[in-house]
Amino acid sequence: MKRLHFMMRNIAALMGYRGPALALIFLTIVVLLAIFADVLGFDPFKQDIIHALEGPSAKHWFGTDELGRDMLARVIHGARTSLVTAGGAVTIAAVIGVPLGLIAGFFGGWRDGVIMRVIDVMMALPGILFAMALIAVLGRGQIAALVAVGISGVPTFARIVRAQVLTLRKRDYVTAVESFGGSSTYNMFNTVLPNSWPPILVQIVVLSSVAILLEASLAFLGIGVPPPQPSWGEMLRAGKSFLHDSPTYAIVPGVVLTLTILSFDTLGRGLQTVLENPRRSSAKPTTEGAAS
Amino acid sequence: MISFVLRRLVQMIPVILIGSLLIWAMLLGVPGGPVAAMLGENASAEQILAKEIELGLDQPILIQYFHWLMGALRGDFGLSVYSKVPVMELILGRLPATAQLAFVAMTLSVLIGIPIAVLSAMNPGSKVDRILSGWSALALGIPTFWMGILLILLFAVNLRWLPSASQFIPIWVDPIGALRSLAMPAVTLGLYVSGVLARFLRASLITEMRSDYVRTARSKGLPESRIMLGHILPNALLPFITIVALMLAGFLGGAVVTESVFTYPGIGRLLVSAIETRDYPLVQGCIMIILVLFVVVNLLVDILYAYIDPRIEY
Repeated sequence: MKRLHFMMRNIAALMGYRGPALALIFLTIVVLLAIFADVLGFDPFKQDIIHALEGPSAKHWFGTDELGRDMLARVIHGARTSLVTAGGAVTIAAVIGVPLGLIAGFFGGWRDGVIMRVIDVMMALPGILFAMALIAVLGRGQIAALVAVGISGVPTFARIVRAQVLTLRKRDYVTAVESFGGSSTYNMFNTVLPNSWPPILVQIVVLSSVAILLEASLAFLGIGVPPPQPSWGEMLRAGKSFLHDSPTYAIVPGVVLTLTILSFDTLGRGLQTVLENPRRSSAKPTTEGAAS
Repeated sequence: MISFVLRRLVQMIPVILIGSLLIWAMLLGVPGGPVAAMLGENASAEQILAKEIELGLDQPILIQYFHWLMGALRGDFGLSVYSKVPVMELILGRLPATAQLAFVAMTLSVLIGIPIAVLSAMNPGSKVDRILSGWSALALGIPTFWMGILLILLFAVNLRWLPSASQFIPIWVDPIGALRSLAMPAVTLGLYVSGVLARFLRASLITEMRSDYVRTARSKGLPESRIMLGHILPNALLPFITIVALMLAGFLGGAVVTESVFTYPGIGRLLVSAIETRDYPLVQGCIMIILVLFVVVNLLVDILYAYIDPRIEY
């Protein structure tokens, strides 16, 4: 109940800002459409070859692709692919990255040294290259894309949590648990972690935008989620071949993809402002904050 | 200074070693083994065994790594499975193309990014600032491959000014042809980077503007433009250099995708096709070379940083 109240209060605070509020509304629509796509009768596989590569019409709002499939249905089902991959990827990144950051920050010493050197190497490779290397190993598929994008997000979580733990490590309530004989594991997960939530939450939202971009990039390169499963990146890849015949084919998925990425980013920055200044509801989301 | 450079050189070693270990260990993770994946489903057990012996995969793991690492140090990553050409030869053939794209795109991004940041920072919160900040947010938010598609749609399909597929023409051979071919990929990549540059430089400029020396300069009656260009900008550029170094990773990643949009024959496209054909020696070689390039450029930036800022101890 208390958590629900905390969540509602933060959402209410977010709605006070125009950008994050619009982003939240847009993302809610996308998520709802993705969930209820089948109930609403959107079939992404139904072919209508006679009406292939047509522009927007009353029957097909977003036009059709080269097989006459409805682009609106494919964009909505593409949202499902994107959101599932991004959600799974961020979960993997958090589940691996958060404990690594906790251990590195809490214990310091050789554990910190080893973990952070590996993290440094992972940071040295651009996320997309890292993901490509993993796909080279795992082969092409949604699970491979999800794991690849997820693992490339691990360093971000590990770094942020480590920094947060370093500031909390010497707080009285942490040393108090230690002096009462609480184990390190207990202390890490029950004392330090609950107090590290705000930056982790912000990172979950920001990383979702990165994950969606990365998933789309892999699909665009032809090594992400394989067809016929609709994905925005794959649609853009296919649409690029039909720029002469049907420009909307390569425009619509791009617009939705860009709006989704921007929305997650805006929402993350808004959340950062709200969580960092719980009492200063007049503060505007800062653009500098997103720099980190 | 020399001891600083040496220390940084030594610090590079573990990063490259761990990186090489991870890149080499990729092969161990391939389900069913790398050779089976390379030869396809129809390969017989004898064929797989013969190939494994050819690649030295029948030896103990540590020896395999040692051999691979020794080869890599000499620039020998073996033969490409697909084209049977030495991996290094393929990579060296593509590097000039990527370097030329990176150079033109980086120049473009600095030419766009710095003026935007300066104009924004001079009037923070103003309409100009909001428009320009919105512009950098857009430059960052639009996926590079979609930006590329939009440029192709406008300049190649509709206006027919530029070719939709870019070739590598060395700029010293045919400058106009090279720029025509590079225009769209460089703008695609440059716009994205200019967004990052503008955002960071603006933040850095605004921090510097609150310094005492700015107040002193103002009280001397210097014009705003001179305070900005002569005093604030040089100081704000220092933290900015670090950001540029950190951004290189994103830049390389962006280059991989951009090359694919325009079918530009750089190292990024080489890597993508290597993954498609499961050409593992080539994948390993490409990633290793990119990692080394990245680490070396980072080192150069660190040295440059220490050289320009006398406050850094070395």
